[in-house]
Amino acid sequence: MKRHLLLATAIISTAIAAPAFSQERGGVLNFARYDGSNLIDPIYADRNPDIWMVGSLFDTLLRPSADGNSVVAGLAEDHSVSDDGKTVSLTLRDGVTFADGTPLTGEDVVFSLDRAREPDQSPWSGLLGSIESVSAEGNAITINLNNPDPTILSMLATFTTGIVSKAVFDAAEGATDQEKSAAIFASGGPGVGSGPFYLCGFEQGTSMKFCANENYWRDGADGKPLPYLEGVNFQIIPDDATRILKLQSGEVDVAEFIPFSRVPELDADPAINMNLFPSTRIIYSPINTRETRADGSPNPLADVRVRQAVNYATNKDALIGLVLQGAGKPMTSPLMAAATPLSTNPGPLYGYDMEKAQALIAEAGLEQGTEITFTTLAGSADDSTIFAALQQMWAPLGINLVVEQVDGPTRGAKNRSGEFDIHTYGWVNDVNDPGQVVGWLGYTPTANAVGTGWDNAEFNALYEASQTEIDPEKRAQQYADMQAIYAEAAPLLFMYETPFAVAVSASVDGYVQTPLGNNIFEEATVSR
Amino acid sequence: MATLQYILKRLFLMIPTFFLVMIIIFVLVRFLPGDPAIAIAGDRASDADLEAIRERLGLNEPMLVQFWLFVTNTIQGDLGSSILMRAPVTEVIFNRLPTTAFLTLYAVGLSLLIAGPLAFVAALNRGRWPDVLIRTVFQVGLSMPVFYIGLILLTFLAAQLRWFPVGGYGDTFGARLYHLFLPSVAVALYTSAIIMRNLRSAIIEVLDAEYVQFARAKGLPNRLILGRHVLRNALISTVTLLGLSIGNLMSGTLVTETVFAVPGVGRLMLEAIFARDYPLIQGLTLTFAVLVSVVFLLTDLFQSTLDPRMRLT
Repeated sequence: MKRHLLLATAIISTAIAAPAFSQERGGVLNFARYDGSNLIDPIYADRNPDIWMVGSLFDTLLRPSADGNSVVAGLAEDHSVSDDGKTVSLTLRDGVTFADGTPLTGEDVVFSLDRAREPDQSPWSGLLGSIESVSAEGNAITINLNNPDPTILSMLATFTTGIVSKAVFDAAEGATDQEKSAAIFASGGPGVGSGPFYLCGFEQGTSMKFCANENYWRDGADGKPLPYLEGVNFQIIPDDATRILKLQSGEVDVAEFIPFSRVPELDADPAINMNLFPSTRIIYSPINTRETRADGSPNPLADVRVRQAVNYATNKDALIGLVLQGAGKPMTSPLMAAATPLSTNPGPLYGYDMEKAQALIAEAGLEQGTEITFTTLAGSADDSTIFAALQQMWAPLGINLVVEQVDGPTRGAKNRSGEFDIHTYGWVNDVNDPGQVVGWLGYTPTANAVGTGWDNAEFNALYEASQTEIDPEKRAQQYADMQAIYAEAAPLLFMYETPFAVAVSASVDGYVQTPLGNNIFEEATVSR
Repeated sequence: MATLQYILKRLFLMIPTFFLVMIIIFVLVRFLPGDPAIAIAGDRASDADLEAIRERLGLNEPMLVQFWLFVTNTIQGDLGSSILMRAPVTEVIFNRLPTTAFLTLYAVGLSLLIAGPLAFVAALNRGRWPDVLIRTVFQVGLSMPVFYIGLILLTFLAAQLRWFPVGGYGDTFGARLYHLFLPSVAVALYTSAIIMRNLRSAIIEVLDAEYVQFARAKGLPNRLILGRHVLRNALISTVTLLGLSIGNLMSGTLVTETVFAVPGVGRLMLEAIFARDYPLIQGLTLTFAVLVSVVFLLTDLFQSTLDPRMRLT
């Protein structure tokens, strides 16, 4: 009896003490995804389910800092930029290898960056447009730029500059780089990347497996090499309700993209940690600003006062309550999520003010009963709620809001052709710099200012100047000016920012989704 | 011999059907608003990127040229390459088809198991409480959407009681029976309701027929009357109904496979449509057309063996 007691005490004390000095190691994390990957490659990843997984399989020279506002050492242990801003020098870490143990060399870096900036190959090559040449001598990497580029360090910490093995690509079957990449992905295996995991199983549209890279160079909090997990098994479950049931039944440990209406219920479940990870995701609605609609009729929304009026008449807090059950916040910068570097934070953007809205409408002389079409995604409960709310909120302005439901590709086509009045849309930053989102939302040559047709010479000139401005203060001022111009012109219905809602079993620790959406598994642990 | 001739004739008649299906589906997918290039490259792609993708996919060719290529390639068994999956369409479909076939047959089997005995009980107790009870319960099954039944089954039997897995499809035959039980039940509840109603009235009709009255008068045992005379004759219309509902069952898999996370062709069809994956949509539609035609043929053949009066012409 005494012995048993002693034994029990020993077990209990070990169990209590253990987590204090070592992380739980091993085990496989089961992860339910909303959509599957097609091709996880630094340059061909073009959808979020691909982009967000690149970092698990491939390393970049630099890594985003914890707060996301700067960069820290990655595969390169140090970096510097010349005074004229036209040369970046980096030193490759000694002894880093790909997951199969073969050394990662300067030659691989040159190969990877060259393929990433090849416009005929990579849809992301524009992000690296300033690079003139990349060269390597031993561990010293030199990047020469055509012009100073304030974003270059951020880009070296972005998925598209992930380092791939030149030898594996040279040996792969296929006539083009893309065919080679697809062949490498299809066969899986540890040779092509140096990230914390490698691909060790893939069934299109069904499942995917990551296995731990035993040769990964980073150490965890316990001083031992990452990752802690043996691997991650992904199952693709597009249906929201089924994904949640999978988690509740214990068949998976993590379920992503929880609908906000289910958040309170999961939050109350002691076996589940309901995470709301801060994100750079903004939900907004482009407004057609052209003088005439696509059918030739006059466009009431061409008048900036009408656009401002609908913004004032929209009660964002009420929308957030209805759609997100409160799990969101109104946009404060007109051009980006508040978490994006260089966002200005002037307080509420078009705070709810019905009197002002009605005054603006009267000033603009908008005819009572004017019909405006709101285009939503068919099948999206969020969009339906938004429409119903806006219809009521804008009725006092004399606007008769009617709905048109379409699917994703149709909405995209309408956005391009300008055949819409207002439609729902969303954005998540892919890179840790405001250049991309501002180019998309406001700079006319990129995409007609997100399809709105808005064209402001001063804004466009500021944007172009900011692309080569390496003085941080001047660049910040340019971005502040652009945000002020854009807020005033209101080419969008500014709505809200939403977090990433991820439900995680209580047995899992350390799983993170970054503000850019990247899934980070290397510091996750699971206790069974 | 006559049967073989009949089969050949039916197969020959399928050719114009398939041609018609090809025309319709070819035109329909191209009338869908939304550009496959945007679906592939995303909303943010530049116009130049989209143009390159259209060129690569052959979408810039004139419609007639595209259709000619589609027809000639299909005849040679080449359905093209899936845009979404980046693999040959035939390979993608054949990977997923067995799962859906399994699910459909499983559901048909379960429907018969559920509907058959209950139809007999209801018919033999016509108008009394067992009949009313059975019909009421099935009426409820019939009026509930499959996805709703699916979610109820998942919530109680899988997530709470944990008797069954929430999704997936298993590796071995036994595992598949286990994994696909709930999705099959969800589909079967609906189908069995239709079958039960039909079989019940067929049985009642046969029970009243003169030859059954005569068999009773002869003093044949009940078991023999029901087995030899009633069931066989009542089944004829049920088999037809089952054959005709194969189309329903197939479209039901679109919903079931999504709710239960079963990777079959139904879910594939949904993914293909959302991605505007023209080759895959075309390939899947053709596959469905072939399957339905074959099932119809089998139904007719089976009917003629049940009822020799039906001549195969």
